[in-house]
Amino acid sequence: MRFRQGHTPSFKRKEAWAGFLFAVPAMTLFLLFAVYPIIRTLYLSFFDYNMLVPPTFIGLKNYISVLGDPLFWQSVRATVTYVLGTYIPTIIIALGLALILNRSFRLKDLFRALYFTPTVMSMVVVSVIWKVLFNYRGLINGILAVFGQSSIRWLTTSQWAPAALAIMSVWKNFGYYMVIYLAGLQGIPTELKEAAQIDGANAKQIFTYITLPLLRPITVFVVTMSILNGVQEFTAQYVMTGGGPSGATRVTALLIYETAFAYVKMGRASAIAILLFAALLSLTFGLRHWFGLEN
Amino acid sequence: MKKKLANMLFFALLILGAVVITLPFFYAISTSLKQNHQVFAVPMQWIPDPVVWENYIIPFQQRPLGRYFLNSVLVSTSVTVLNVITCSMAGYSFAKFDYMGRDFFFMAVLATLMVPIQVIVIPLFILVKSLGWLNSYAGLIIPSATSAFGIFLMRQYFQTVPKELMEAARIDGCGELRIFWQIVMPLVRPALSALIIFIFMHNWNNFLWPLLVATKEEMMTLPLGIAKFESTYSTHYPQLMAVSMSATLPVLLVFVILQRQFIQGIALSGIKQ
Repeated sequence: MRFRQGHTPSFKRKEAWAGFLFAVPAMTLFLLFAVYPIIRTLYLSFFDYNMLVPPTFIGLKNYISVLGDPLFWQSVRATVTYVLGTYIPTIIIALGLALILNRSFRLKDLFRALYFTPTVMSMVVVSVIWKVLFNYRGLINGILAVFGQSSIRWLTTSQWAPAALAIMSVWKNFGYYMVIYLAGLQGIPTELKEAAQIDGANAKQIFTYITLPLLRPITVFVVTMSILNGVQEFTAQYVMTGGGPSGATRVTALLIYETAFAYVKMGRASAIAILLFAALLSLTFGLRHWFGLEN
Repeated sequence: MKKKLANMLFFALLILGAVVITLPFFYAISTSLKQNHQVFAVPMQWIPDPVVWENYIIPFQQRPLGRYFLNSVLVSTSVTVLNVITCSMAGYSFAKFDYMGRDFFFMAVLATLMVPIQVIVIPLFILVKSLGWLNSYAGLIIPSATSAFGIFLMRQYFQTVPKELMEAARIDGCGELRIFWQIVMPLVRPALSALIIFIFMHNWNNFLWPLLVATKEEMMTLPLGIAKFESTYSTHYPQLMAVSMSATLPVLLVFVILQRQFIQGIALSGIKQ
């Protein structure tokens, strides 16, 4: 490694070396356990590999096979359903509650902490609890009965299982995004609202023309994080439904896990992972473009 | 009058939210103290009769839940300590020094924030297996010893530390390590507590990686152990709930104590991006 030489006095160069050395432990780990695996996944996606015999190069066959596989497309649908079904309600509830909580009143901290509680819990524990709640004779159907609704087979029918997962995930996640929105709202100077009030704007106008546009960067962050977290989620599906019934909740993350670690098709699983990554990247760039935040 | 009505509506919404949040907890606690055949009795019985405390004892005799718990403590604590060291050092380096390749390294770190774990985990598993680290603490801990998010968080915070402070210490003949440890680190405490909470929480709840690395009972962490317990005893609901509640209690306790830091940490991470 050479540092800017020439005019640089030697003590500056020594300082640069020290600075570089500070980064070495993290960068070594990072290269080994993040950068190498990412490149290796791309590499493996062109191979047939079952961990018993060395990988054999098969070109684009994994990709062609995956893209023609109805199971893959079913997992894409399951993922889209899960992400939209979870995060549209999550973001709306999070923003709504943040707006309500963004005033000073007694008990504010209590409510905020209460709503945040599920986000510190393990997804496994939450899934286990909700599995019982969604039992045919469980609490959810009990509540429905109070309103005169008949019981639903939540986890064993393919039209209700995705809904059950989404409901549970909204419960688990909205507190996190609420806290992020609250922080964003606190960053909006009160002078702006006061000025608008003096000019005769009503609450609705202030929200539409001041609060919402100023929250735009936070919203882009929240939406990006939602997609990223939603696409990677597989614990809930693994514990609550095992991907069933008949694959209705087998999200792509779960399909990758099964392909790699149950069927030991490492190359094929890598190809699915790369496709997932590509979809995710184009989606986030598209979003940023759409929100007009290229930088 | 209209304002009063709006206020009442707000509070009604807040309380509805609170009920929705707490109901599953009450249900789980209530179920955990029942006899199995009472669980789905109609009408629902919120106060168990009789109160079956054994539900909190029997699972610990059937399964090495204590061991899972210790594994979780050991793994999460080690990972957190390692992250505090590696992330703060790298963050300090990226924020306060000037050398060739610095921006490239930092951009590479940032780029991996957008990479889902599924793109990393297959070769990582193969690598850890070939190192002979399956079913070992090394396998559970070392691949998580640094984090892109942690480096990013610390860098943002170190940038607020004035460079003059370091210059003055250098002129006084203070070594680089001592400047870092004794002068700069104490100034970034808020970021450190956010980092500690994040990394600890993430690893305490992590499921995918232990699921791959720990196949032997004695190496399993708590989430894995609970999932295992669930798949074996899924029909004994009270014990299942008792196990879930015992696993959650420590987390809730820590959260109640550090509530402010938790929430500030999350807010910090959101704002800085």
